[in-house]
Amino acid sequence: MRNRSRHKQRRVFSGVNLAALLVFLFIALPLYWMIASAFKTPANVGASPPQYLPHPASVQNFNVAFSQNTFGRYIVNSVIVAVAATALVLVLGTLAGYAMARLPMRGTFTILVILLMISVFPEIAVVVPLYALLRDIGWLNSYQALIIPYTAFFLPFAIWILRNYFLAIPHEMEESARIDGANPLRTIWSIILPQAWPGLFTAAIFTFTACWTEFLMALSFNVSNDYRTIPVGVALFGSQFTVPYGTLFAASVVAVVPIGILVFIFRRSVVSGLTAGAVKG
Amino acid sequence: MSTRRSDVFRRKLARLGWGLSAPALTVIAAVTVFPIAYAIAMSVSNVNATGSGFSLSGITGSNYSIMFHAAQWRYALFFTIVYTAVTVAVEVVLGTAIALVLERLSAGRGWMMALLLIPWSMITVINAQLWGYIYNPTYGILDTVFSHIGLGTPVVLGTRVPAIAALMVADIWKTTPFVAIIVLAGLVMIPRDFYEAAEVDGASGWTAFWRITFPLLRPTIALAVLFRVLQAFGLFDLPFVLTSGGPGYSTQSLAILAYNAMFRDLDFGPGAAVATSTALLVVIGCLLFLRVFRAQAEREA
Repeated sequence: MRNRSRHKQRRVFSGVNLAALLVFLFIALPLYWMIASAFKTPANVGASPPQYLPHPASVQNFNVAFSQNTFGRYIVNSVIVAVAATALVLVLGTLAGYAMARLPMRGTFTILVILLMISVFPEIAVVVPLYALLRDIGWLNSYQALIIPYTAFFLPFAIWILRNYFLAIPHEMEESARIDGANPLRTIWSIILPQAWPGLFTAAIFTFTACWTEFLMALSFNVSNDYRTIPVGVALFGSQFTVPYGTLFAASVVAVVPIGILVFIFRRSVVSGLTAGAVKG
Repeated sequence: MSTRRSDVFRRKLARLGWGLSAPALTVIAAVTVFPIAYAIAMSVSNVNATGSGFSLSGITGSNYSIMFHAAQWRYALFFTIVYTAVTVAVEVVLGTAIALVLERLSAGRGWMMALLLIPWSMITVINAQLWGYIYNPTYGILDTVFSHIGLGTPVVLGTRVPAIAALMVADIWKTTPFVAIIVLAGLVMIPRDFYEAAEVDGASGWTAFWRITFPLLRPTIALAVLFRVLQAFGLFDLPFVLTSGGPGYSTQSLAILAYNAMFRDLDFGPGAAVATSTALLVVIGCLLFLRVFRAQAEREA
């Protein structure tokens, strides 16, 4: 019996491996194409038929992107906005997530449903009023014009993730702390957080990625070149007739690779975060 | 006496809960409630753009009436629904297939997972430019591939159906991995002995999938579908960069239409009507789904 099933498994492997290879090619080829094109000479990026390998390999596109164009500026802007919004989301999300997981508040379920709806609410419906509001308080073309809306729009999902994590942490230590009269903030800091850091990490990566990729609000609120983020810079680069793809991909590689590495290192947390909602139902 | 005391204690804890939630809920409300209310107000008023903002006057149904009578809106609604249905269906089938493959993979599963996460974490706008390069009519790789296999050189982004298909392919490439990862997480939680029992009964792989795997995966898949449907309904970044809604308005999604109406044509009232009704459709869809999902869960329990 055991023999038969092992035999069967081995036979399946070749088919599975072939399928896995197809999956690999499906995902990897477009990525390879972007990276390879970034390392071609600007003239060879537009070669027809295309070069399959960059020959000669060149970093000229990177020079054009970062010294003749302001992609460096866009990346710095993206980092500032994404880091600030992520920090705010984590602090506010931890407090709210803890409260909704542990404290007997009425209407938690309703709030959670509303939060879920806000996190999927189409941005287009709020962009114009937010634009008018930001203009009235003089915040257009600033970092806070993106940091505050990002915090608000990405908090709901973070609260969901964090609440699910807190629910899975055993109660006992907290209760004894409470009986000892410990201050709730202190309880969160010294008892909950040390156990919940994988959840915090997941929430952080999600929020950061969401801020890093957000386009519509960044496009609408920060028109000035000094405050453009990477997606806006990439979308608006080039004219209607020619897009300098080499330069664009050099900048894109720099914008994609750090996140790729981050996601790769923390793949376990990311996967568990992606599935947190699914598991909890 | 003791119940009174625990009652007081509970109330104290509830107050503490609201206190801790207040900062988050305030920020969310401040940034979302006013704009949503204002967008609704804009959609039912005569909107005049003035030097210092907007002035709304009177209540009118004319914005919605303009919207309902516009062929562009009807087409955008049709396009968005078809696009959502097709991409989500393909992503779920393909994503489930990929998850089944990865689950059986003996080595390198971690690496494949990491690879799958890269398209998911990629900036959509960059994804759009990358596919724009692939589809380029003069030096795109797709052209070369097509002429090698004797299919001529199609004008991908310049004709309606190929342009829609091209958008879908770019979307499917970026989002299928997300579905695959969610389904894979559901798969690994199915106990082994379920399959062993099926094997003893002599069930084929295909039967085992439909009898065991699929029913157990259904809640996971349903959640992935919900997220994807709601996201796809707000489709904006991809057509904005790849096709600008063209050729003509054949890839103009509801969000692109609303954006063009408000930011390009400065038709704020009708634009707000399009945006608000899109949001309303998303909210209704979400509520319906939650209701069906809970009813189903209760029936199964």
